[in-house]
Amino acid sequence: MAFVNLQNVTYKYPLTEKPVLQNLSLQIQEGEFVSVIGPNGAGKSTLCYALAGFVPHFFKGEINGEIEVDGKKSSESTLDEWVLNVGLAFQNPFNQISGAKYTVFEEIAFGLENIGVPREEMKKRVEEAMSLTGISELADRSPYSLSGGQQQRVALTSILVMRPRLLVLDEPTSQMDPIGTREVFGVVRRMAEEGMTVVMVEHKVEWIANFADRVIALKEGQVLMEGKPNEVLTSDLLAESGFGISRYTSTAREAKKRGLWKKENLPVTLDEAVKGFKS
Amino acid sequence: MHERLSFHIQRDSFLHRLNPLTKLVLTLTLILLAFTFPWYWTPHLLVLIAVIPLSLLGKVFREFMLTALRLIIPAAGFLFLMQAFFQPIGTDIIFQFYFLDMTSESVLFAFRNAMRIVVMVSAFTLFLLTTHPSELMSDLTRRGLPGQFAYVIISTLQILPQIMAKAQTIISAQRSRGLDTESSFLKRAGSLIPLIGPLVFGSLVEVEERAIAIEARGFTSKHVKTSLHEIPDPTFDKSLRWVLLILIIISIGLNLWLS
Amino acid sequence: MKIEINNLRFTYPTGLEALKGISLTINPGEQVAIVGQNGAGKTTLVRHFNGLLKPTSGAVSIGEWETTKYSTAKLASRVGYVFQNPDEQLFSRDVLTEVSFGPKNLGYEKSKVDELVKRAMALTELHDKTDTNPYDLSPTWRKMVALASIIAMDTPIIIFDEPTTGQDAVNVGRIANVIAELKREGKTVITITHDIDFCAENFERIIALAKGQVLLDGSARDILGQEEILAQTYVDPPQLTRLGKMLGLKEIVTRPEEFLKAIL
Repeated sequence: MAFVNLQNVTYKYPLTEKPVLQNLSLQIQEGEFVSVIGPNGAGKSTLCYALAGFVPHFFKGEINGEIEVDGKKSSESTLDEWVLNVGLAFQNPFNQISGAKYTVFEEIAFGLENIGVPREEMKKRVEEAMSLTGISELADRSPYSLSGGQQQRVALTSILVMRPRLLVLDEPTSQMDPIGTREVFGVVRRMAEEGMTVVMVEHKVEWIANFADRVIALKEGQVLMEGKPNEVLTSDLLAESGFGISRYTSTAREAKKRGLWKKENLPVTLDEAVKGFKS
Repeated sequence: MHERLSFHIQRDSFLHRLNPLTKLVLTLTLILLAFTFPWYWTPHLLVLIAVIPLSLLGKVFREFMLTALRLIIPAAGFLFLMQAFFQPIGTDIIFQFYFLDMTSESVLFAFRNAMRIVVMVSAFTLFLLTTHPSELMSDLTRRGLPGQFAYVIISTLQILPQIMAKAQTIISAQRSRGLDTESSFLKRAGSLIPLIGPLVFGSLVEVEERAIAIEARGFTSKHVKTSLHEIPDPTFDKSLRWVLLILIIISIGLNLWLS
Repeated sequence: MKIEINNLRFTYPTGLEALKGISLTINPGEQVAIVGQNGAGKTTLVRHFNGLLKPTSGAVSIGEWETTKYSTAKLASRVGYVFQNPDEQLFSRDVLTEVSFGPKNLGYEKSKVDELVKRAMALTELHDKTDTNPYDLSPTWRKMVALASIIAMDTPIIIFDEPTTGQDAVNVGRIANVIAELKREGKTVITITHDIDFCAENFERIIALAKGQVLLDGSARDILGQEEILAQTYVDPPQLTRLGKMLGLKEIVTRPEEFLKAIL
């Protein structure tokens, strides 16, 4: 039995006409790092909310099918129990600041206070999480005084510190520079090595190819393709369906037509492109 | 740009170290004594023997005096003049200004009321200067105030300056589209919708996302909450609160008995 | 219309000196991308072009107008500015009213407003959405409404602040088309962007800012290969430029066509 299991999930928000998720099924193993890609409107954020319990518990609306994490059914659970197992960070970091706290350190401790972690353990866990994501030096700053990229790191840390079994991230690096993005992918990879299961919505295909175990491509609320990053990200189907693809892939595809790319597989990362064009 | 809406000044002093509830009780005691103790010179004396010494004990004398000069004294002075001229009591006219009379009775009456206001505003100012809002709320939550209530208070204090910054961005965006916000009143009134529309819509989105974000961090969890900061409440604080409470009871009691 | 910036300095009321002496000339019809790390002064700089900010010292002129002498509402007839977040400007009940707001403010005749609005809606592919409430549209389409509402003002200069952030590949393609069309019409387009590949493929001139000063200014090909200097302001060269370098190509390449030619 997979750690995360979605069976024929169809979901419609209360005020929309068309279902956002349509008969969606997917399985994710424990400790797997899965990246979800897709054009806007494909249902990526809704999938994140569904995994994290907010669809349907918070948004209401009509849902069919079953969402299971770690053998527990979302339909049989309540939101406040569900979030103990599944952590969610989403795109807009500003709206994720609780507003209840005056420093970054307090902000990250907020979730631990809510679930009743004893004070000494709380401090230790906050310090560990901050050093993991590289924001220790921001501890005493006001969360509102930070840049967008720094706020995104705080949002990620605030969820990591809760130690969820399943970590759901919806474009967690959208406001980060290349260096910040690489570090966040590295941290997430490490969490997966340590047994955390990760679902991460991202556009940055080069980093997905470098770090994720598997890619799921969504389109119109359904799985269009899934598989190893290189297979999915270089497929012709993806390029034709309006997905973002790396310049290495698109350029090598063009080169292949002109006989300048000799290999069977197309590249996604710089490394693959260098090796392929050298041969 | 303001980072937050708070008067709190971080210092290490006797007053800062007091438990937030003790400070709240102390503030209320000063106010109630000033208003109920049946002796004319009570508020005046309180300023001398309580308010000013406390501002020194709290190491916020300078900040307190600045507030007093800018806000408390002008407001109390205005109140004094209004009441001294318009309070229709007494016959002993000591000053006349056109048809307005100032009697010795009305001056005494106005003086006491002005001093009562001085004590009230000063006590609150000292409280705000020496108490961190989140400490106050953590302490009150620990004592049974609902967590949601405390959250609303604190987040409002923090988020208001952010909303003001956002309003500024919206104004800039609409001026960039040729919206004239600088000329006649009519034009300005007409320009309200383009400014308020995005602000309201943006706030609705923000409120929903923030609700999700705090829920994802166990805000409505049924666990007993813990607190990162320990807020000490030693025996001294507890006894002090009892003493203050007795003072309040005596003052109100005397007031009722004598009236 | 020419933009002239002469030794521009700007200090925020908080005391933060955001611009430390910038001199630039942007000629009519140029396509300029401004890059650099957060806090480098990109937004502060472009907010001087339509008078939202006024220089602490130095001067900015749009054509013969010095920005200190004109209000932003006046300068809006020369410089259009698309803010990063469309939600900070959309307020109308339908797309048509929203897009007409700017040109009406500029006082054009009704027939001209109608024509400009129609053209802007066609350019941004919004023609079938005229009666829709902007808030019923997806964030991608709201972005296009924001673009249309500025394009309809028909200003000789248009500024885009981070147009591709949060957009998918399809919409980035649409935005690239809009910029290409504005170029054909002879407009000056100035874009702040973090998306360096987008930058390489759509802009001829690149200005890299760092700590309130111009770090690099020149043609895309001259600027984007300077990996070490760009790193000072946390900008990575475009993917194909990096690839070309790793393969030891003699010249700097920034676009797919150049790359394919160079490896022949």
